[in-house]
Amino acid sequence: MSTSPSPTTPFNTRSNGVQTVLVVDDEPTARIALAARLKRMGYRVIEAVDGKSGLDALRRERPDLTILDWMMPEIDGPSFCERVRQDPELLTSQILMMTSHDEPEQIAEGLARGADDFLSKAASKYEITARVQSGVRASTLIRRLEDATEEIRRKQEVLERELQSAARYVESLLPAPGTVLPGVQMVHAYRPSLGLGGDLFNIVSWGDGVLGLYLLDASGHGVSSALRSAALSTFLRRGNLLRHVGSTDPGAILTEANKQFPLTEDGNYFTIIFARLDMRARTLSYATAGHNGAFLQRVSGEFCWMAQPNFPLGFDASTTYVTTDLTIAPGDRLYLLSDGLYEVPDASGELWGQDRLEETIRGFGPRSLTDVVAGSIQEAIRWQGHEQFPDDVALMGVEIAV
Amino acid sequence: MAMQVKERPVPNGVVLELTGDLTYANREQFKTAVEAVRQKGCRHLILNMADVRFVDSSGLGLLALVSQNFKLGQGKVSMLKPQSYVREIMSLANIQKLIPVYDNEQEALAVQQRAA
Repeated sequence: MSTSPSPTTPFNTRSNGVQTVLVVDDEPTARIALAARLKRMGYRVIEAVDGKSGLDALRRERPDLTILDWMMPEIDGPSFCERVRQDPELLTSQILMMTSHDEPEQIAEGLARGADDFLSKAASKYEITARVQSGVRASTLIRRLEDATEEIRRKQEVLERELQSAARYVESLLPAPGTVLPGVQMVHAYRPSLGLGGDLFNIVSWGDGVLGLYLLDASGHGVSSALRSAALSTFLRRGNLLRHVGSTDPGAILTEANKQFPLTEDGNYFTIIFARLDMRARTLSYATAGHNGAFLQRVSGEFCWMAQPNFPLGFDASTTYVTTDLTIAPGDRLYLLSDGLYEVPDASGELWGQDRLEETIRGFGPRSLTDVVAGSIQEAIRWQGHEQFPDDVALMGVEIAV
Repeated sequence: MAMQVKERPVPNGVVLELTGDLTYANREQFKTAVEAVRQKGCRHLILNMADVRFVDSSGLGLLALVSQNFKLGQGKVSMLKPQSYVREIMSLANIQKLIPVYDNEQEALAVQQRAA
């Protein structure tokens, strides 16, 4: 069976295919005659005897077309049009205004005040038919546009709910702040740019006073980078690392992760820092893969950025990542962060940068780790002049108790 | 900023003249241009970076990807004249270890000929 519309009813909006025309005219003879003609043309017709009941009917019935008399007591045709155009619910209604005097100035005024088209009361049967059809056609197109917009809005809402749920899951992967080892406090801040972030960080309890810490940054944005980050963080769980790497050595862990996570077909990859804090030996060992955001703030005031130019994960499968060792002392603070924290432009495009971040943290002096973490985020926000970061921001601070 | 890519054949290779930013927003355009060159059987791709102002993290990934894909086909990728800021960004990810950087085209081509 053919489903294409017949030539006489090219635009059907309602399920029953019958379109509705509202006729608003205080003059009974003219209204009844026009209504009868429209019914013969196959339309469902609603009649209203004045502007006020016309507006009520328009709101109630949402007809495909409204045919309106100019001259009416109280609310006349042009005032009717103005009210319709100011009402968000009604403003897309199609209005055909009728008048007995079709002076060009009057037509211009009617159009200016909100009518879509004009029809002279002296118009021929053919003209009336043509103008009504044209009005209904326009109204059908507008309805389709409205339906499509509504459909998009609904789908967008569903997507956003799903994104929020995924974002909550990602945040549930983050470690709880507090005492992560006897004498070791951890505080963090996490500000994904799109609700769903590609940055992740966590701790791995190796036992016996040894703690693993990492912060990773997936290139790209949104859902795909969040999925890849979650996959890598699953790989970086204690049991999995002991099974597949058999070592708590950061370099060995990144060397294996590099084999497991090649570049994606879009060239996406991870940068990461993996550290190992050994409270018995008072050492901090770390390895990085293309990641530049980590430093040790020694109790002496010295800043030690833990960066080495090397490949991010996935750039070259044969890379061996090397572990570097530092000694630590009570009062030292370790910060792991994503470049999203300091690569924020101000109004002129100048980036905040690592140096200003270092200065900021230095300036906080002996304030608590919680204050420093929150204050650094605030300072980046102050630099860019707004709350919304262009990239994901993650910052984890760790303090060795004095 | 958008990116423009112009292709220019040279003896034993193709130069892609890049203008603009090599970033996430322009990734498809860059991939398409490189893929077109690779499909034609080009064994030496030379990326002229002289007019590239900025490379973001996605851009670095694309450079690594292009280098890997050419290597798989026994080909190679070289780079010409990156601006100092771009050079700095690339050095953080060690891109120059994957893609050798040259100051002029003759030099890039000469290395290719010696290798061949």
